[in-house]
Amino acid sequence: MSSISDSVRRLPLHARHVEKNARIGQFGNWEVPLYYTTIIQEHHLVRQKAGLFDISHMGEFFVSGPTACDYLNKILPRSIEKMLPGQAWYMPLLNDQGGLVDDIIVYAKAHNDYLVIVNAGNVDKDRKWFEDHLIPGVNFKDRSDEFGLLAIQGPASAVIMEAAFGQFYTGLKNYSFAAFGEGMIARTGYTGEDGFEIMVPTAKLDEIWQVLMRAGAKHGLEPVGFGARDTLRLEAAMPLYGHELSDEISPVEAGLSMFIDWTKTGDTSRANMNAVKQSGPQRKRVGFELVGRGIAREGAEVTVNGQKCGWVTSGAPSPTLGKTIGMAYVSADLAVLGGAIDIVIRGTPVPAKIVKLPFYKRK
Amino acid sequence: MNFPENLKYTKTHEWISVNGATAKVGITEYAQKEISDVVFVELPKVAFGAIKEKGAAVVESVKAAFDIYAPVSGVVTAVNKELESNPGLVNQDCYGTGWFFELQLSDPGQVATLMSAKDYAAHIQSAAH
Repeated sequence: MSSISDSVRRLPLHARHVEKNARIGQFGNWEVPLYYTTIIQEHHLVRQKAGLFDISHMGEFFVSGPTACDYLNKILPRSIEKMLPGQAWYMPLLNDQGGLVDDIIVYAKAHNDYLVIVNAGNVDKDRKWFEDHLIPGVNFKDRSDEFGLLAIQGPASAVIMEAAFGQFYTGLKNYSFAAFGEGMIARTGYTGEDGFEIMVPTAKLDEIWQVLMRAGAKHGLEPVGFGARDTLRLEAAMPLYGHELSDEISPVEAGLSMFIDWTKTGDTSRANMNAVKQSGPQRKRVGFELVGRGIAREGAEVTVNGQKCGWVTSGAPSPTLGKTIGMAYVSADLAVLGGAIDIVIRGTPVPAKIVKLPFYKRK
Repeated sequence: MNFPENLKYTKTHEWISVNGATAKVGITEYAQKEISDVVFVELPKVAFGAIKEKGAAVVESVKAAFDIYAPVSGVVTAVNKELESNPGLVNQDCYGTGWFFELQLSDPGQVATLMSAKDYAAHIQSAAH
């Protein structure tokens, strides 16, 4: 019998990725396509044309019932009662100490009817968090296994979406969505480019993948793996849970203050967040460019004059900029644009400078 | 895949081209394909004393760093500086312009412990299945 660990899971379209010669690797508990051609080639494809990502590892929670809005308003840091149907809001999910349980997107289907998309690695933790805070009148369901998610990203996304599904969805504004069968289509993404995320029941996933690939063929659409997804989101300075975000990091330190409604009162962890906001964060997320040679990897120490003052959360060569870039947490007093820091790479301090985030912004 | 007959190979996917008491070292086609886009190479300094099966250089892809081991012991007499500005040579021409460093062998007898092209091809087959 096979001895493959049952804790490692495969995407519903695994066979299609293998058929496309994907290099399969592990991302959390999931076997995912890292790249089909090369990471750099796929990165440029998304910046210049369009790429199709299978992100079906993500989790989908459904929250409805007569007190659903009150419930989410109590446990989330933005004012859910102000959401209009069709809006999709990014926000941190905070624990009682004001650290990040996860970062999520809440989709308002109607007042008291919401979808929440969460990170794959946090599905169990998040479900417990939502369930532990349930109030009467809320119907909460984790339906992560029933739905798949595809992302089409890049400047040609809209023209491909129009060819695939007509003009209706290309009229969506950024961070809005519309129903698509049992699922939905949102104008969201994780690359810094224009794009759409398409949620459909798992059984429909392959059909939608093929419709998009056919519609995109003459626009250069190709599948893109998790390797380029990481370098794309790094250039766009989008945080990745487990790297820039954790249970111990506050959203103020992470630079996510704009995704918190500071006029709100009474929600969980509000007192702690206000305290961090008032005293100012001890450390801050910054972007840096290496001045010396090398690649700064996650976990590398940040030093100034040989004194440790932070750590690298993500680092890679930037295919778009042709530089080595990264994000790090540094002591708040050092988080100054142009500031000189060192990144310790294999025991040697390599000079770097703090630069403005994001590294890349589309025109 | 191409594994030239005139080279010797290690289990860790380096090749060595022996010419009397000196030898050139690089990585195999299998290795460069596994690594994918080579974006950075850290070479040893000339006069570095390389020890058989110990790290002598580092190759980095977008995602990770890999140690390159000395196939045999020796003193580094030359390094391929081109790789510092053009690391992609490792992918484009791994047996030619993508070489890493040259060694003055300290024990030429060690060469006999390395694999032939045929043995290396078999090693990769068995590792892959």
